[in-house]
Amino acid sequence: MAALVGLRACFSALQLSSPSLLHSSFKLCAVPLSRRTFAADAKKTYSREKPHVNIGTIGHVDHGKTTLTAAITKVLADSGGAHYKKYEDIDNAPEEKARGITINASHVEYTTANRHYAHTDCPGHADYVKNMITGTAQMDGCILVVAATDGQMPQTREHLLLARQIGVEHVVVFINKADAVEDKEMLELVEVEIRELLTEFGYDGENTPVVIGSALCALENREPDLGINAVMKLLEIVDSYVPLPKRELEKPFLLPIEGVYSIPGRGTVVTGTMERGIIKKGDDCEFVGHNRNVKSVVTGIEMFHKSLDRAEAGDNLGALVRGLKREDVRRGMVMCKPGSIMPHQKVKAQVYVLSKEEGGRHKPFVNNFMPVMFSFTWDMAVRITLPEGKEMVMPGEDTSLMLTLRQPMVLEKGQRFTLRDGNRTIGTGLVTDILTMTDEDQCHWG
Amino acid sequence: MLFNFLCRAITRDVTKVRLCQHVQSLHTGCLLLATEKTLLMKLRKSTGYTFINCKKALEKFDNDIAQAEAWLHEQAQKEGWSKANKLEGRNAKEGLIGLLIGDKAAVMVEVNCETDFVARNENFQQLVKDVAFATLAHHCNNTQRQTGYIKSVLVGDELSKLGVDKGTSLADKVALTIGRLGENMSVKRAVTVGVPADWHIGSYVHGGLSSQAEVGMGRYGALVIFQGGKEGEQESLGRKLGQHIVGEAPLFLGNMDDLPCGESETRLLPQTFLGDPSRTVAQFLRGKQARVLDFVRFQCGEKNKEETE
Repeated sequence: MAALVGLRACFSALQLSSPSLLHSSFKLCAVPLSRRTFAADAKKTYSREKPHVNIGTIGHVDHGKTTLTAAITKVLADSGGAHYKKYEDIDNAPEEKARGITINASHVEYTTANRHYAHTDCPGHADYVKNMITGTAQMDGCILVVAATDGQMPQTREHLLLARQIGVEHVVVFINKADAVEDKEMLELVEVEIRELLTEFGYDGENTPVVIGSALCALENREPDLGINAVMKLLEIVDSYVPLPKRELEKPFLLPIEGVYSIPGRGTVVTGTMERGIIKKGDDCEFVGHNRNVKSVVTGIEMFHKSLDRAEAGDNLGALVRGLKREDVRRGMVMCKPGSIMPHQKVKAQVYVLSKEEGGRHKPFVNNFMPVMFSFTWDMAVRITLPEGKEMVMPGEDTSLMLTLRQPMVLEKGQRFTLRDGNRTIGTGLVTDILTMTDEDQCHWG
Repeated sequence: MLFNFLCRAITRDVTKVRLCQHVQSLHTGCLLLATEKTLLMKLRKSTGYTFINCKKALEKFDNDIAQAEAWLHEQAQKEGWSKANKLEGRNAKEGLIGLLIGDKAAVMVEVNCETDFVARNENFQQLVKDVAFATLAHHCNNTQRQTGYIKSVLVGDELSKLGVDKGTSLADKVALTIGRLGENMSVKRAVTVGVPADWHIGSYVHGGLSSQAEVGMGRYGALVIFQGGKEGEQESLGRKLGQHIVGEAPLFLGNMDDLPCGESETRLLPQTFLGDPSRTVAQFLRGKQARVLDFVRFQCGEKNKEETE
């Protein structure tokens, strides 16, 4: 765009100037012009000015999820908040398809006046669940797309069930294809019906925002009331209705320990990457994991051989701790705010088992299978108990599992982990519930 | 539309003239509109057809719900066909395997759809059930006088010609469900087996989520035909074998005396048994005094080359 303007300015200057001036005008334009093209070629840097939110679309195959996504990018492209992506560009990555790997989430990004969004569009139930577990695309909120011509389809129930299952709490409804319905009352009825359905699934059906419009109109620049304006309205509502996810910085600090060193004359230093929170010199801390529990105080923080007063999530640091010997702490434990996190030995988890094509096992596993569980910086042998009514788990499936660790380690709801067997990653999962150990579990480990 | 127009015209008049009579007629006009709306909601709820069609039906029969419903059912079949034609060629790779065990006979069918959302839907599962029952009925009719082991594979056209109830074919049923759910569907394949009196059929369906009791449904299914086994234990034996077949995906049967050749063994008998890794399937069968004669494995959405198996 900028380059184009520059070019046009250059041409107009050429036209106006007399031959004697031509040379100088060239000179004048040449520098900014070349600089501009260079800027367009280089990769843009992502500027973190606006808070980031993940959003997704769900709904029936023909109801226009992809068209809506295209319309959103088009509308925002006009105000500079996105690159216009055509319908064909959004549909899934062909390379992955060819390799037989189903990374079906297509990612589209755009910015509104207040926020930066990543937009996900997965075609199936299993894909959403897999993405939720592996963490490739969490959703903070979602847009349910319903065509006004059909109303909710019988399987819209399954869509909402899924949204519930993957923990999406904020749903915004977009009634699409409103241009194909001439009767306004029909739209009202579709709206009433979808509200009823939302209530049935435990959402706040009465107050859920519903936007009526037509993504196609927005794409084709027709009927601005149903087209562009409706899409703008939808975005405004998403801006205000879907709350920002809680920042990692606001949580109590947590540092998984990668290494422990003793520095002569100073004491013991633990290193690692801050998982979350903020740590300051003089903070109380607690070391948890590997059946140990020690309290101490942080007396110094260093990053790249420079000492600092405060470190935050994402920083790779070393922390000097008071009064501890090197043997008191070991890799795999975590340093945390006292009392903020507890070790656990038995958890319930939602696990995605990698298929053969993704590098996982090619055979199923059954009850009492014993892989190694990796999370943060620790790893621990774990015994798998299948849920009732399930006798085996096939590669490529997602399932709920009960995991019993050989020793209690730091685990909490929402923590991600990997399961490995021998030299192969067999699955990845998400802790959904903490369970208490029974005596029976204890004697299984001998 | 007419009421709308009337209403608007009347409101205009009222604001101009404000006569009692007009006020009254305005009142009745709104009332009628409201009843039509509730009727429409009621019809949509009870039948599940799209709003547009429900409205058309009510307009056509002057708000007679019974007639409208009958018309809708009739229309659904037609629309199903037109929709089915429109959606033909769209990729349908998801779906369900349905497995039905009869008296010394069993069928396993695969029905495909586009997304797994639909595979979880009751209407779709009902279709799978219908297909399974129709195939079993077809099998029973054809093989009444025969007593040996019969295994037949049905694909494509043969299947869609099967009758469900009097007059309707499976193809009609599929079209109806397509009209309802709006996704392309197809009955891909079916296998039926019938066995002599002293043989047994074991079965296993994996990844099931259905609430249908009679027909097992899931993403994988296996039928295994075997002889022997202790009395009363045959069902669990068949289930264990079926589970092994689903899990380890053998391609051939092999011999009882075959030596296992490592991880990538594709013959059933020399494979390491899933439920007890210290033994091969052949050793396990010897322990149970049983003999596997044949097996079939279906995986939802798998490629055609295995269809001959």
